[in-house]
Amino acid sequence: MAALDTTIAVVTPENIAFDYQLAGPFRRLPAYLIDVLARWMMLALIVLVMWLLGGLISFAGLSSYLLAATFLLYFVLTNFYGTLMESHFNGKTIGKWACGIRVVGIDGGPIDVGRALLRNLIRVADLAPYAVLNQVNDDVPPIFFLPMGIFGLITMICTRRMQRLGDLAAGTMVIVDERNWDLPLTRIEDPRVAALSSYLPQDYRISRSMARTLAVYAERRHYLTPMRRREIARKLTTHLIDRFEFRRDIDPDLLMQSLYYKNFLWEPSREPIDLGALAGFSPLAKDVAEANPRVPEPSS
Amino acid sequence: MNVANLLEKRRVQWQELEKLCDAMEVSGRTAGGGASHHRGGAGVSRFATLYRAACADLALADSYQLPPGTVSYLHRLVARAHSQLYRSGRLNPSTWVDILFYQAPQQIFADPCVRVATLMFFGLFTLSLLLAFNDDWFPGFADRVVGQKQLEKMEEMYDQPLFSMDSRTSSLDHYVSMSGFYIMHNTGIGLRCFAWGILIIPCLFTLGYNAVALGAMFGYMAREGVEGSDNFFHFVTAHGPFELTAIALAAAAGLRIGTGWFATEGLTRIDSLRQAAVKAVPIMAASVALFILAAFTEGFISPSPLPYLLKAGWAIASSGLISFYFVVLGFPRQTPTRAVDGTGTA
Repeated sequence: MAALDTTIAVVTPENIAFDYQLAGPFRRLPAYLIDVLARWMMLALIVLVMWLLGGLISFAGLSSYLLAATFLLYFVLTNFYGTLMESHFNGKTIGKWACGIRVVGIDGGPIDVGRALLRNLIRVADLAPYAVLNQVNDDVPPIFFLPMGIFGLITMICTRRMQRLGDLAAGTMVIVDERNWDLPLTRIEDPRVAALSSYLPQDYRISRSMARTLAVYAERRHYLTPMRRREIARKLTTHLIDRFEFRRDIDPDLLMQSLYYKNFLWEPSREPIDLGALAGFSPLAKDVAEANPRVPEPSS
Repeated sequence: MNVANLLEKRRVQWQELEKLCDAMEVSGRTAGGGASHHRGGAGVSRFATLYRAACADLALADSYQLPPGTVSYLHRLVARAHSQLYRSGRLNPSTWVDILFYQAPQQIFADPCVRVATLMFFGLFTLSLLLAFNDDWFPGFADRVVGQKQLEKMEEMYDQPLFSMDSRTSSLDHYVSMSGFYIMHNTGIGLRCFAWGILIIPCLFTLGYNAVALGAMFGYMAREGVEGSDNFFHFVTAHGPFELTAIALAAAAGLRIGTGWFATEGLTRIDSLRQAAVKAVPIMAASVALFILAAFTEGFISPSPLPYLLKAGWAIASSGLISFYFVVLGFPRQTPTRAVDGTGTA
């Protein structure tokens, strides 16, 4: 099934499948603009250096050679900047580095010189059609073109790996090179959670799908209001309350947290939980009946 | 053992792997971080061990019941280490020799796109040259194609003699900087033809337009009584064969990619396009090699005050070389061990 989200699974030679996050046009356009800027700055630097050289060393005929060299450097820079950068810096240019994206092969492998050359040369076709500025304003000399990038955009939208024409031909894709590295395991501070988890039956084993659901719930519950948490958690815990013989008015959110705690954080070797002020309370339905037998059970 | 404990234990190694990744991203080797067991070969093997361990953790994530946040962390960690372990390859000279001297001529000889592009380029070039040359039969052809201003500018450009005893330095200067410009300009045409090839029609247009324009210029300069005519041919003869062939070849490589859209041979269109691009790489490599040869010729021989005979000799020799390359090296061989389809034999 074609996934809605923009990840692509890659199988490594170690036979592990991992996911890459694809980079769309809104990440790639800034990267391209930064690259254009970087190229202009390099060009300005080259011209400056050549000009200084020409000024410092007065030698007959040198200036024309410098001019020729400037032309050549300009040519190399405009046409092979991306190729050189990507093949040397492992799929990154300056703009890609700044935007945190990288070019890899569609098999997840590294990009080689041939592929980098293909995808960078074909960029000319990707940026088509070009608007010629002197059609709008006669004062502008007819050398300034404004690339529209429609072809690249259309193929990026139409292909599953968000490839432009150059990527299609070279067999590459651009992925997000994540750099924020926090390792999330939700901490649970509420003392009631530990207390409640000690009442969970010891023989209850959590299934894999249940564990996944619990982890997602524990990670996301911070974004929900208390009412919404209860509403979601109640649907998941109704049959568990019956099974554990807990009282009906127990907070479902608390129960979900304690299940999470039991599964992910608690370990048997640790000493029994200090219940403190909560020692007298019990969530079990039979304890409720013993403590105040006349109170009817609240209907949920 | 619970998940928190497991994570606590594994986390040490994951963070070590992250540190190694950091070092490799910055300097390309594992020597960062400063620890002695991260330097040199020990660092590489440590990195590989940690990477395999992280892979194993990811594979077992489901049965460890790791939370999804941790799993996505592991995905990113493995992806990051993967792209450092399998880095982009450096240039391998033996591969390039194989591509240039084995795959490219075979591919060029067998590829109909090369014939189409070459015929179109040189056909239009010759036609336009003849039309522009004979001003009596086809009056005003060169003016209309290139433009009167351009032609006058060109005459002016080649006005200075390439070699004479009195004004030697100045005119040599002029031609040296000009050759720099023309290397850039003509190679640019070739690269543009290649790039447009994926859309086919713009490629044919660019190729045809440049063939006609170049032909008209050549024809105009070859007319009797045009100033700078001698200097023009003095300048262009030596590098002409290399450069014009290279432009045609670049367009052919582009067209080869473009044909991938419709000549799918049973593949999906996108796979077929990629396959066509793989076939186009040797042709493009040959074109780049010719451009480089042309650039050297243009830089050192064309603007030099060598006699015209030597330059013409060089042009003939280079034409012979190209023919040898295309026909002798390219003639289909009966060796079944090596694939001719360019799918990477080396």
